[in-house]
Amino acid sequence: MSRRRKQLPRFGRGLSAASLVAMAATLASAADAPTGGEPGVRAFVLSNIYMASSGDAGACPVLADGGIEEYFKSLPPEEQAKYSVAGKLGELEQGKRPALEQDMDRHFGFRRISPRNKSVVSGQAKLPPDFDPTAKPTAEMALRIGALNGFPKNRGRWAFSNQVIAYSACTDPLDFPQLGKHFRTYDGKVAPGIDLDGKTKRGDFSGLDGAKGVDNQLWRVMGCVRTFRENGDKEVVEKIFISARAPTLIEIRGIDDPRNDPEVTVNIYAASGSLVRNARGGALAGMTFDIDKDPALRATTRGRIVDGVLTTDPVDIRLNYKEQIIDAPRQILGARIRATLKPDGGIDGAFFGYYSLASYWDSIEQMTQNGANLTSVSCPGVYRALHRFADGYRDPRTGRYTAISSAYGFTGVRAFVANAPAEFASRRGQ
Amino acid sequence: MKMRRKTAALLLATLSLLSLGAATGMTPNGVHAGAVAPASGPAPVRRLTEAQYRRAIADIFGEDIKVVGRFEPDLRVDGLLAVGTSAISVSPAGLEQYDDIGRGVAEQATDAGHWDKLVGCPRDAHGAEALSCARRFFSQTGLKLFRRPLPAAEAERLARAAVAIGDQLKAFPQGVATTLAGMLASPQFLFRLELPEASGRLGGYTKASRLSFLLWNSAPDDALLEAAAAGSLDTPAGLRAQVERLMASPRLRDGVRAFFTDFLQLDEFETLSKDGLIYPAFSASIASLAREQTLRTLTDLLIDRNGDYRDIFTTRRIAMTRTLGPIYDVPVARDGWYIHEFPQGDPRVGLLTHAGLLALHSHPGRTSPTLRGKAMREILLCEKIPSPPANVNFAVVQDVNNASLKTTRQRLQAHLDDEECASCHKKTDPIGLGLEQFDGAGQFRTRERGELIDVSGSFDKKAFDGAGDLGQLFHDSAAASACLVNSVWRYANGRNPSAGDEDDIRALSAQFSGQGYRLTSLLRTIALDPAFYGTSTDVRIARTHEGKKEG
Repeated sequence: MSRRRKQLPRFGRGLSAASLVAMAATLASAADAPTGGEPGVRAFVLSNIYMASSGDAGACPVLADGGIEEYFKSLPPEEQAKYSVAGKLGELEQGKRPALEQDMDRHFGFRRISPRNKSVVSGQAKLPPDFDPTAKPTAEMALRIGALNGFPKNRGRWAFSNQVIAYSACTDPLDFPQLGKHFRTYDGKVAPGIDLDGKTKRGDFSGLDGAKGVDNQLWRVMGCVRTFRENGDKEVVEKIFISARAPTLIEIRGIDDPRNDPEVTVNIYAASGSLVRNARGGALAGMTFDIDKDPALRATTRGRIVDGVLTTDPVDIRLNYKEQIIDAPRQILGARIRATLKPDGGIDGAFFGYYSLASYWDSIEQMTQNGANLTSVSCPGVYRALHRFADGYRDPRTGRYTAISSAYGFTGVRAFVANAPAEFASRRGQ
Repeated sequence: MKMRRKTAALLLATLSLLSLGAATGMTPNGVHAGAVAPASGPAPVRRLTEAQYRRAIADIFGEDIKVVGRFEPDLRVDGLLAVGTSAISVSPAGLEQYDDIGRGVAEQATDAGHWDKLVGCPRDAHGAEALSCARRFFSQTGLKLFRRPLPAAEAERLARAAVAIGDQLKAFPQGVATTLAGMLASPQFLFRLELPEASGRLGGYTKASRLSFLLWNSAPDDALLEAAAAGSLDTPAGLRAQVERLMASPRLRDGVRAFFTDFLQLDEFETLSKDGLIYPAFSASIASLAREQTLRTLTDLLIDRNGDYRDIFTTRRIAMTRTLGPIYDVPVARDGWYIHEFPQGDPRVGLLTHAGLLALHSHPGRTSPTLRGKAMREILLCEKIPSPPANVNFAVVQDVNNASLKTTRQRLQAHLDDEECASCHKKTDPIGLGLEQFDGAGQFRTRERGELIDVSGSFDKKAFDGAGDLGQLFHDSAAASACLVNSVWRYANGRNPSAGDEDDIRALSAQFSGQGYRLTSLLRTIALDPAFYGTSTDVRIARTHEGKKEG
């Protein structure tokens, strides 16, 4: 790429040759970045990363039941009547969900302790004498507190952004298989994604563009869960910011031609600051973001731009995912980017790769039972399907897959990246 | 609130003690500075600006005292609020506002948290102890508030009033607060009374005020008041010592910021807003930061670097902060304010490309080469552009979706076909169109509705192509430098020059040029000039005196 003439800065069209020469001279001096930023570099802050949806092309005939719906259906008629719409037995009245949830908690013995304020759902929590509420939460401490407070043996996990220790169908889905009895997986033929393994095999989908061999088994798992289907709707994608307090940055370096460049470097970072909204309520373009100090939240790969579409080589990435009560970085192995570079400086595209089961489950588990009930998710149903349809990164020791093929769409606006480590800032497509 | 109701009547009594109408042009409807001082003659009475009021309160009572309330608007006369200060009145409603604000200040200054520091004696003092305490407090505070010593009898009257009110309310601090509130609503505080002494000359305290308000935009500090008391401001050496002290202080920055806020009409930023659908990156906080950006850029060049004033039009240095980065479309890697330097050839160069000023002189949803050109002519070149007649048809200019006239230039050209309009527009539009690569929010662009934007034109019969060239022409414009000198002079004197002042201003311009167009040199020259301190008689005497000393 360096053999070709460098692209003029964005404003270059309005400048004289003499001023460009002078500018080039100054660029090598101590002056700050010009209007438009460093030539040959484009960066974006992603305002939303969402599970890409098959949309109308892959409609789900019957949506999966959430755990609370499963419980409701399991009740005998006289009990169901207490929570049903008057005169419509079996139709859950929304206003009675909280009461039903309490009933469900009692029935299954779900527990929830907030050790930091020494409370338990009923009564005071018992805490070990060496418990330090300011210390980093450990799984061992969760088990000990669980044992002290009457949790079943070896039960009790941190949840709700490590604020509570819980025992429920979301912390221990295998204990409550009955709550996943009517979980529906997606059986359509079309799904967003790409062919990750280079094979067209049984169970693969057709892409939205008709491509064959599309690997996206995570959509098979979640494609009939209402919340996840809706999150991929265009309108939702544009209006809802996911992980706005910890957005992801994509930086393309070494661009000679923003429409066609056979070799560029693509850096993926977690931002340390929050997304800023503009006066329209959208993401503010042109903000500068520092990158997160955690090296695990950075990755770099090579890519190419063809007719304004960026594609990259596979790379393992870890994307911050901090949303409300969830703090569960997404670990996507062998991730490839395919994205359109928009004329307004923004980007629309997707990460395609194998989502590690551990990190995906972490995001579901952190919903807590209460969150799962609110969004009609069945944790046991998701857990079982997730492991059933996992299709990537087989553990040679156990023979089991540890990741699942996925497609995560994203949208972003132009941004600047600051204070990247030198090895990232200096990288060029080579 | 309870205290306020109870003391309202007592406050009125206190105001009467302060001889409201004695020498200040107070009318039955309020106070009118202009009754004494027309805008083009000597200006012995000037109303404090809001900024000066706030600064004075902070200096006298502490930075933590909150000044809460809406001030009566200042008046801009011939481009400067400073000139308006000598032509503006206080309406009855305005006096009520000052009264309200003053009572809020007085309550805070005399509350338990400030009492010991500001008043000093026991809060439950009474009788002789209270009287002695009040006498001392009003004497000291009066000197700072009124910028002159209070005669013993005046301090005594105030002290006795405070004690009497305190006795009546059974709370000495409330007596002090009520009396202090009266002082804060007094014309002697609200107006700079620069009346000659019996000798016909300005006294030392008046000189101290002029000097302090010019260089620090605030009331004189203790050292300046002491110099006034000692009479040293009446000697060239004494005056020079104080001028140099004030010039060397970091507070000079306050004075320079105040001047440019007035000169560039930056107070207009308070009402600046944009259509969020058209300019989503612009917000109220951006407007506030953009104003600060311009002031910081100017003080960086003119104070920190003691640079050439003309370079404000060509400097590539600009104060920047991360929040402004999106407007300028530049990466900002640092936290807080810093000086960003655009590279050579960048479209951003000089004051004319400051986003705030570009946005300020635009419409909420589109640019306006006419408004921008008018602002450049009137503010930076001190020209006068007549207002448009009431019956102008702006339909073509405002039709931003016009299918055939895609650019602002094209639409303005159509508007100029009207000869009556053309006479003024030919002054404003060509230079305004030179800034068309910056949209109504001050963001850079190269195209308008798909069309490449033409930013060529001519100024003073010299061709330019874009903001950089135009900035250079302003840099080289003798009119722009002369306008600055004229504006600083009018700002310092609070009035427009009369025929007798023209020679002085010409001489100032020549000196300004000879001293490398340094604003600090200009301020020093004015501050040391006997003409700045008084009547023509006074000036002649002072000059004679100075000539003898230096001769």
